[in-house]
Amino acid sequence: MASTIQVDTIKDIGGNTIISSNGSGTFTSNLPASAPNVSTATGTLPIANGGTGATTLAAAGLANTPIWYAKSAANQTGIATATATKITYGTEVIDTDGAFASSKFTVPSGAAGKYFITGTITWLSGSWTSQQILYIYKNGSNAYAEYRFKDSTDMGMTVSAVLDLAASDYVEIYAQQPSGSNRDTWSSPYTFYGYKLIG
Amino acid sequence: MAQLSTKVKLYCEASSKVADFGLNGNVQLQDDSDGNGPYIKEWNVTGLAQPTDADLTTYDAAATTEETNNTVKNTRKAAYGDIGDQLDEIFKDIDAWKVRIQAIKDANPKG
Repeated sequence: MASTIQVDTIKDIGGNTIISSNGSGTFTSNLPASAPNVSTATGTLPIANGGTGATTLAAAGLANTPIWYAKSAANQTGIATATATKITYGTEVIDTDGAFASSKFTVPSGAAGKYFITGTITWLSGSWTSQQILYIYKNGSNAYAEYRFKDSTDMGMTVSAVLDLAASDYVEIYAQQPSGSNRDTWSSPYTFYGYKLIG
Repeated sequence: MAQLSTKVKLYCEASSKVADFGLNGNVQLQDDSDGNGPYIKEWNVTGLAQPTDADLTTYDAAATTEETNNTVKNTRKAAYGDIGDQLDEIFKDIDAWKVRIQAIKDANPKG
């Protein structure tokens, strides 16, 4: 059964007017302009409280940026044995903050935080076998490394880690092979990418 | 020119030391792919000073010989074939096996 309540003022228990009406469609609200009154919020919306305005996660500070994604441009030849060698990724695909250059990502000012970082490499075929190491270098030194034993075929390998990075910190990918001779990579391609985690 | 790692290895062996180039080894070599080539990044060989460039240059010829011989060894090893197949070959005709192995050695002499 339908029913209607008609009033011109809604008050709180202390007698304070919350909303009033002149009876002709004009309303006066005494609700606070800031949250939780999200109906008037614009720009960066307090999403946790709900919002109706047009916005994006990025506008609310929830974007996984900076992001970089680069891939090899050519085979890297002559990687010396028993030597940690910087891997070059000559084709830049994504670089949201212009922070990737010379196969190195440098954290921009104001973008410190936790970063998910991945580097990959493919060793060119050959009958040589040995224990390979793939490193993530932070500020010129090993921050994380993974091993893999190469058999007698082409071999791809991956290293991933989450690192806490401050502004101006930089990360690179290094690889090491102990085969006793120079070795080459195979630009199939292999990649180096990462992004800042939300939070 | 010989590999830096080979020269460092021989430099250590000359003082009865062992160079370990592994992840947590006592010698770390690095190449930043900047055109300057490999260099010694960390040196932790107990009781032996880090070599100078001049020290390492004196090992260049010996290191080149060692690397050449290593290549020869690998070539021979591949030509010898699977060890199981060789045992079968020896069982059937050891003299023929000897002839085949000697021919491989002769074709791939060490320096």
